Amino acid sequence: MKLRGRGIASGFAEGIAFVIRVPFSFVGGADPATGTVLDAATGGANERLDGRIFAFPHGKGSTVGSYVIYGLAKRGVGPAGIVNSAAEGIVAVGAILAGIPMVDHIDVGGLENGDTVRIDGDRGTVELPGVRARPVVSVVLRNGGRILLVRRSPSVGTFRGRWSVISGSIEGREDPKSRAIREVREETGLRGIRFRANAAPIHARDGATMFVVHPFLFDAPSRRVRLDWENVEHRWIRPEEIGRYETVPRLPDVVAAVLRMGRES
Amino acid sequence: MRLTREQRRLRDDGTPAQRKAMQILLALSRLSEAERLVPITSAHVSGASYKMIGDPGLEFLEDFARDARVTVPTTVNPLGTDLRQWRELGIPAEFAGKQERIARAYESMGVRPSFTCTPYLVGARPSFGEHVAWAESNAVCFANSVLGARTNREGGPSALAAAIVGATPEYGLHKDEGRSPTVRVNVTTKPHGLDFSLIGLVAGQQVGDGLPFFRGFRGSEEDLKWLGAALASTGACAMFHLEGVTPEARRARTAGLPSLTISRADLVQAQRSFTDGTKADVIALGSPQLSGQELWSVADRVRRKPPRIPVWVFTSRAVRDENPEPVAAIESHGGRVLADTCLEVTLLEHRFGTVATPSGKAAYYLPSLCKQKVILDELDALLERYG
Repeated sequence: MKLRGRGIASGFAEGIAFVIRVPFSFVGGADPATGTVLDAATGGANERLDGRIFAFPHGKGSTVGSYVIYGLAKRGVGPAGIVNSAAEGIVAVGAILAGIPMVDHIDVGGLENGDTVRIDGDRGTVELPGVRARPVVSVVLRNGGRILLVRRSPSVGTFRGRWSVISGSIEGREDPKSRAIREVREETGLRGIRFRANAAPIHARDGATMFVVHPFLFDAPSRRVRLDWENVEHRWIRPEEIGRYETVPRLPDVVAAVLRMGRES
Repeated sequence: MRLTREQRRLRDDGTPAQRKAMQILLALSRLSEAERLVPITSAHVSGASYKMIGDPGLEFLEDFARDARVTVPTTVNPLGTDLRQWRELGIPAEFAGKQERIARAYESMGVRPSFTCTPYLVGARPSFGEHVAWAESNAVCFANSVLGARTNREGGPSALAAAIVGATPEYGLHKDEGRSPTVRVNVTTKPHGLDFSLIGLVAGQQVGDGLPFFRGFRGSEEDLKWLGAALASTGACAMFHLEGVTPEARRARTAGLPSLTISRADLVQAQRSFTDGTKADVIALGSPQLSGQELWSVADRVRRKPPRIPVWVFTSRAVRDENPEPVAAIESHGGRVLADTCLEVTLLEHRFGTVATPSGKAAYYLPSLCKQKVILDELDALLERYG
């Protein structure tokens, strides 16, 4: 599949992904002589950046980081490419000085260590040749400050037994919002729901499948839910309780994203 | 993105350094959603102290200097030591050697070897409304607030890129709307001396990356230098207004803004909270570097009350050379006047564990950057204690 982001530093690179889930400082975070990761908070200490496609949310820390990136590339031990969720000046400038292709506006939460990744810094794209995209909607239903969680039935195709929100696959060129409304009606029997917000797609991985999740927030007129075959149990919870449930991948991010958009609109 | 014909030429057919500089400015434009590059009249670059940028910085600057040339008047931040006194200071020869190479790299790019954090004291004084690309937070704050020039908080490489191209991405403080205050700060006490640093420290902690509109006091240019330096340390502030004093305060709209109050008690509390040392090893004056007038005032004071512990005074080479008399007076009374360098970026920690200083900015940075303890107080009070 191909992800469309924003080109930051030009050039083309292919390599094996090294993915961390926390912001990264090149000063102190990597050995400037060898490109070995030092920062233990990354969960990837002792990994080598050399030749990898390095994906992380965004840079942080000292502006000397730009020079460290330059030095790594000059020694031939720097990453082959950089992918960020939201670039900031230090890493962006470093990538340019170093001539390392870089793309941002990519949800790095969907990338995994070991993925083969091709990035195009001029077009602003990231390609995952071994991964297939599957677009889905995820609908957060809200009533009086609580949101609806449902537990997936043993007879559905994916994530059996996990907690989720109302969701379903988008087929063909279907409009995600109409699909969202249809899924709510089928899976809960609720009518008269009101659209509140949507958020940028979130990427959730399941092996070679990339779920491209389109998050929605709707207000429900009541809590009277009639489940269909896809789910076996439901609960109206406070959003902050979501951590206690074993959920489908990235559900907390989906909920947080639409609630944030809902507050802003 | 709209580019001029010349900018397109630099991007496509420039020297390697020009193409790199254009790529940096274009990427930063994308990050900030700037629609064009605005021409600048000067640049001020940070990242010159070997202590701060180390071998990676040295390596990049020497490589870049092979073909990079600035096209607008450009000044550069302080180094990690005084280029003429490093032996007396006990600076290792390797450090001094690498420091000199950084200085030479900047010079060969056409950067004026000012080695100052106060370019506005050595002739780099943009006029009201002029666009510039300055790094160094105190200089940015002074240029925007006191001079009415327009600059964002640049980093070292972005200011250097702007200096090479002669333009910078137009967003933030380059536009009228980026210069509007976001919070009113009422100061209910009449400040003197150290108080200006303290107001800056307190306000910066509260307003973060906002743009404060101060009211309730007045101050000289020097007072505002200390206020701005502290404000830009605890906060990410690039500008402030002061009612009745700074040039854009009259035009600023403050109706409906949130407001906060700073009282004498807040200043007393701030001074206490930024003091964690008990016995000073050195009195250090700088951060930002002192002006000529400030050198005279220090000279008067140490003459009256010669200190028992070393007094290190940081200024620029230009100011030191222009003021031989106070320099001689300070040095004959146990002090040392250092040029080319400044308090936090100089190699100081190997000699002094606890630093006494009237600089709010130094009090903020020394504990983290240099692992030193700080006593924050007026110079007079310090000379009284250590005289």
